[in-house]
Amino acid sequence: MKRVVMILFVLSLSLLLLGADKIELLFWTHEDPNRTEIENRYIEEFEEMYPDVTIKRVTYPSRKIQETVLTAFAAHKGPDIFNMEINDEYPYIVNGRVAPIDPKAAGYDSLQAIYGNYLEGVLDPVTYDGNLYGLPLELTNWCIFINKKYFKEVGLDPEKDYPKTWEEMADVSEKLVIRDGEILLRRGFDFRYPYYLTFLVPMVEQLGGALLSEDGKTAIINDEAWLKVLEYFKEWGPNGRNLGSPTYTNARKLFNKDNNSVAMCLTGLYQEGRIRADNPEFYESGEWMVVPFPRFENAVNDLGSAYYGHYYMVNAESSKDKQYWAWKFIAFMLSHPEEYLLKVGLIQPQKTLLESEIFKNIPYSDVFLNDMAKSHIITIHEKAPMMQDLLKEAVESVMLTNATPAFALKRLKTKMNELLEEW
Amino acid sequence: MAHKRRVHKGIERKKAIWGWIFVAPSLLFFSLFSFYPIANAFYTSLFKKDLLSLRPPKFVGIKQYTYLLTSPTFWNSVKATAIFTLGTFIPLVVFSLIFAAFIMSRKRFQKFFQMAYYSPAVLSSVVAAAIWLLILDPRGLANQFVNFLLNSPGVDHKWLASIGMVRFSTVLVYFWKYVGYFTIIFIAGMASVPRTLHEAARIDGANSWQAFWRITFPLIKPTTLLVSVVAMIQCLKTFSTQYLFVQSGAPRGPIDVITLNIYYTAIRDHRIGRASAMSIILFAIMLFFTWFQLKVSKSEEVSYM
Repeated sequence: MKRVVMILFVLSLSLLLLGADKIELLFWTHEDPNRTEIENRYIEEFEEMYPDVTIKRVTYPSRKIQETVLTAFAAHKGPDIFNMEINDEYPYIVNGRVAPIDPKAAGYDSLQAIYGNYLEGVLDPVTYDGNLYGLPLELTNWCIFINKKYFKEVGLDPEKDYPKTWEEMADVSEKLVIRDGEILLRRGFDFRYPYYLTFLVPMVEQLGGALLSEDGKTAIINDEAWLKVLEYFKEWGPNGRNLGSPTYTNARKLFNKDNNSVAMCLTGLYQEGRIRADNPEFYESGEWMVVPFPRFENAVNDLGSAYYGHYYMVNAESSKDKQYWAWKFIAFMLSHPEEYLLKVGLIQPQKTLLESEIFKNIPYSDVFLNDMAKSHIITIHEKAPMMQDLLKEAVESVMLTNATPAFALKRLKTKMNELLEEW
Repeated sequence: MAHKRRVHKGIERKKAIWGWIFVAPSLLFFSLFSFYPIANAFYTSLFKKDLLSLRPPKFVGIKQYTYLLTSPTFWNSVKATAIFTLGTFIPLVVFSLIFAAFIMSRKRFQKFFQMAYYSPAVLSSVVAAAIWLLILDPRGLANQFVNFLLNSPGVDHKWLASIGMVRFSTVLVYFWKYVGYFTIIFIAGMASVPRTLHEAARIDGANSWQAFWRITFPLIKPTTLLVSVVAMIQCLKTFSTQYLFVQSGAPRGPIDVITLNIYYTAIRDHRIGRASAMSIILFAIMLFFTWFQLKVSKSEEVSYM
């Protein structure tokens, strides 16, 4: 009897020890069919190399993942690996919810070697108190995608007549738009609502305004610049020239369909991969092109759209073992920057990639790179998501309701400064 | 005599014990999933707490409440909630009563009508709002239908844009979704009215209209009260329609109901203490209407004797 008990004890101990060696990583990310295809393959390859590691990749819609990750972290049930836009991720760094990178696990000799591998400055948003908290999956800025057919249809030469200024953008759109009374059947161009930190703040900055003062303590700098931009949006909306509105279907999604519903849209280089996947015929037709983010006629700053990053991060509450393997796996995924670029259209800001022929041969990569060189990263602030909501409220109040730009600005200023206050 | 009282007491005691045994699971369930979250929300509302922070929260007492009561944004939410609740629950009660009376007066297709009215209530609010977003799109069916009826081609009625229309659209979606649910409750109430009363009225020469107003309506007063208060409480809790509309580009201000404000304060702003205070205020409002229901329903008890 004693022997049986002993055998059972040894067996269960062995099973426990065997089980203890197994590492299961939970990886949450946003939906992107092109990326899913390659990352699932990386997972298979990684699991083959390290049979004791299993990775469960779960995707969420890009506008839902923020709240899913947040509620999970609030309940101390966050995933081991996750990524979101940097302005959504920043509060996780500030609040100590993500683990600093382990250079050795990521295959680097030192922290400095990691900084040396990436473009200067791109790791600044994830550097806090001397530690590095993330590695970039992508760095994206937005330019204007144009459907050349619709330009030609209304007698415009897309190569010459594309809008260089916001004033021209409204005029060109007026020519391209097709209406049934007040209802827009085809929009010339429409903004990418509600990502106002990415495109609206740079528009204000072109005119010499700013969202925050340099010390970050005051919001809404240079009322004149803000008023001009809010007036522009009021004119753009259904109560003005009726060129577009946030209540219409997202222009970026319609663009790929090439179905006469939108002629221009605002998006990143990854759109090329999505056009190829959604509508190969349109992609191959050569009937689309990319031009820089417009500037205002009397712009005082030559600025493109803000660029944002998605950084892979690791949960600080995961065990040390899991953190080690998480960084090892992230580094493995990111060791394929060419494939991310060619198959998904994501720019990983590694020096070797941006200097490579592969990058230079991507259609219109130079347009994005030139504009990015004249841009800056999106507002990094613990309260950035709420700031974006307040901008949304201001813009939509002038576009959709009868609020005057002066009234909307006054309210925005009050709410923004209240947000910055401690209480 | 004393022996009889002891026996009687023993039976009472046994009944009481069994009563507690039967009630205990639901009490436990209710305490775990209702009392505890309410108490926890109240406790959290006394602190300044960031949803992501691992630092201990700072005790601020009733400061969250005093802040909210002087905040224009919060009062805007109260206004949006009041407009939505009044705008929704009155049509809900009136039309569900009419639809129930209509269905009860049918001799054929009663089940079909019940199913047709009830089917939207089966859908999740998110799916319902998503369907309506397609309909209310500027190029969608709503504009086409109204323009066909009014012979006004090309008019954009701005269902999701102008202040009045976006409020109306949320009411429309909610009404469409819940009118069937309340119709079924009214049907149940009407079915419980004894047929003998109607037969007696008919013998006395009452027509259908008189029978409804003099017999059915007075006898379903408890159901009417139940429907109106439940509808009101449901309306006070509305969230998903407004949330999806705002996500799809509708302006937030006119439909920023308290629950939506709670969501933004907690999830976008990470201020869980302040969001908890808002939820406690909302709870107090709902508690008031529950108390109101109990008070009124006591005076409106109906007896068929």
